[in-house]
Amino acid sequence: MQRRKFNIIPVLFLLPSIALLLVFVYIPLIQNFYNSFFDFSVFSQTKTFVGLENFKNLLADKVVSVALLNNVKYAIISVVLQVGLALVLAYILEDKLFHRVAPFLRVVYFMPVMISISVVALLFGFVYNPQMGLLNSFLELIGLENLKEVWLGNPETAIYSVIAMSQWHSIGFVTLLFIVAIQKIPKELYEAADIDGAGKIRKFFSITVPQVREAIFVNTLITITGSMLVFNEPYILTNGGPGFSSTVMSVHMYQTGFVKDNMGYASTLAIIIFLLTAVLALIQIKLSRTGKDD
Amino acid sequence: MKRFLAIFMTVLLLALTACSSSAGNEEKKSSDKDVVEINFFHRWPNEPRKSFYDQKIKEFEEANPGVKINVNSVLNDSYKEKIRVLVSNDDLPDIFSSWSDSFAENLVSSGRIMELDNILAEDSEWAGKVIESQFAGFTFDEKKYGVPFTVDGKAFFYNKEAFKKNNLEVPKTYKEFIAVLDKLQDAGYETPLVEGLTNAWAISHYMGTIFQRVVDPAVTAKDYNVETGEFTDPGYIKGLEIFKELTDYMGDLSTAIDHEAARNMFASGEAPIVYMQFAEVKMVEDEGMKDFGFFDFPEIEGGKGDSKALTGAPEGWMLSKNAPKEAVDFLKFLTSEETAYDFTKTDGQLNAVQGAVDEGNTSPARLEAYELVTNASATTPWFDNAVNINIADIFMRGGQTLANEQTTPEDIMKEVQAEAKRLKK
Repeated sequence: MQRRKFNIIPVLFLLPSIALLLVFVYIPLIQNFYNSFFDFSVFSQTKTFVGLENFKNLLADKVVSVALLNNVKYAIISVVLQVGLALVLAYILEDKLFHRVAPFLRVVYFMPVMISISVVALLFGFVYNPQMGLLNSFLELIGLENLKEVWLGNPETAIYSVIAMSQWHSIGFVTLLFIVAIQKIPKELYEAADIDGAGKIRKFFSITVPQVREAIFVNTLITITGSMLVFNEPYILTNGGPGFSSTVMSVHMYQTGFVKDNMGYASTLAIIIFLLTAVLALIQIKLSRTGKDD
Repeated sequence: MKRFLAIFMTVLLLALTACSSSAGNEEKKSSDKDVVEINFFHRWPNEPRKSFYDQKIKEFEEANPGVKINVNSVLNDSYKEKIRVLVSNDDLPDIFSSWSDSFAENLVSSGRIMELDNILAEDSEWAGKVIESQFAGFTFDEKKYGVPFTVDGKAFFYNKEAFKKNNLEVPKTYKEFIAVLDKLQDAGYETPLVEGLTNAWAISHYMGTIFQRVVDPAVTAKDYNVETGEFTDPGYIKGLEIFKELTDYMGDLSTAIDHEAARNMFASGEAPIVYMQFAEVKMVEDEGMKDFGFFDFPEIEGGKGDSKALTGAPEGWMLSKNAPKEAVDFLKFLTSEETAYDFTKTDGQLNAVQGAVDEGNTSPARLEAYELVTNASATTPWFDNAVNINIADIFMRGGQTLANEQTTPEDIMKEVQAEAKRLKK
């Protein structure tokens, strides 16, 4: 093995990006960790050291469990719909029957992804409006008056209404990723299956699903991580209400820090969010290494 | 080539770091000895107030040739953030706008705000014109730190036509008020009273007024202070029960809409009563609703509070501790009767300067509101400004869940008491 001479040039090229990463990612991360041991507000210039007090509060905070549970609900529903349903959708769109209309439908499904989430949230505020909203009017129209609901005002339905909007918004994106994956599957596999007399459902489970395994895996992780970080949807649609019923971790963190002016405890909450996503990212790295066989 | 690249990258890096430092440097002030510069910061980059203040600055500069005013403005929420940053270092503008009570108190606690008592005492002709009761929200430790300018208050707006049709009188007591709501409900109004409960502050406005009517002022004064707050008075539970009773008239709908939607329901005649700020009168008028009146939150039977006090807080002006005396002159100019009169004429919002609101510059409805404000025995600040935000948040969130029947007033108070204890430490 030949020993390479140290070359300064690559280091210089990397420096700007390292500097930016340091300033905007790593230093704030460390600072956040440091801040979580203090009690301070934006107004006061003094920080009081409180040791592990913030972490103790975390255990006593009822909102944290509500918020975490909401994040988990978010993740489960998103995985089922965004990964499960999107895969089915992609398979249908790639079917010969839909050959003609597929490009058009792809645009239709992808359209919501291109609308800013803030706009979508405001829009769904109208859809869910109990009096003149689209959803209740529709239920009335098809004779399902008794299903009418004060969607965002009822603590039982608020979080699900928020999640539903999120699914509508992102399913197109995941579908598109699956379409790309399905298109890479060799045609021969399907042809062989046709000769063997396999039906469409059989082909889906025996060819499509195993062949896009990697994509399923990546999409699942993206969706779960996204669910842990979700902020805009509940913040704009319900602001975490009524009560705390639709609060998620990041909304709780934001309100603790910037509304209730309790920066130290907000930093502690931020650590929890960071740990959750970091663990997920580690799992992703670990597992994706094992899946390199194709 | 490699050498060149290396140099190039170094230059790029230097440029990157240089950028950040040069942005922080302020331009050197061209200090022509005779010209005094005043930095003026307000929160209305939107019309009509922006043009109004630009015009007034021009007038002031013409009348005072030695003064130059640098103006800057950002909108509401950004203003709150920016002023927080400015107050934590020495860049605080000489004169700027501020809300009252806890917002003002936070600014004052920085120690960078000018005490105005001497200035007010020196020029009693000017100071005497400002309605005295409005100073309360800018007074801390018996020292005045701000001059109130715009005034506001909260009252029930009612649809006069709906009242006439159902032979209803303006209620004087809470019992009468409930009777009125019952009759309106019987007359076919699905929501005789409406509110956008998704806006937490709207809930806090209700609670502030109710507590003010029900609980002894000495008790609230003690409880609203973080250092002494306990919230053990049974009046709070009664207050929450009253709030709960009122939400029953608001229907399921109110838990899912915001205040703006509620206001529009009132303006369209769909809901006959709504609890609103006088600052909203013009918006209702612009929506086409003309035939409406107001009444203050009625007296609650058996309440220990002041039944004539009005909920509402002014906004005003503050000076930096280091402001030159020309800034004081500018403050006087901004709060003079003349400026105030023009202000209400242009903008519609009422002001705290005596003689500056009359038929000439405001509508009859707003004049009626003005009388309510000026005749109030005392003003109670907005509840979310009056108490620590952590306490207010429990009440506001609690109000939402109370409307949904997911909690009880007793549980809310238990939570509040625990939080009060935690904050006292």
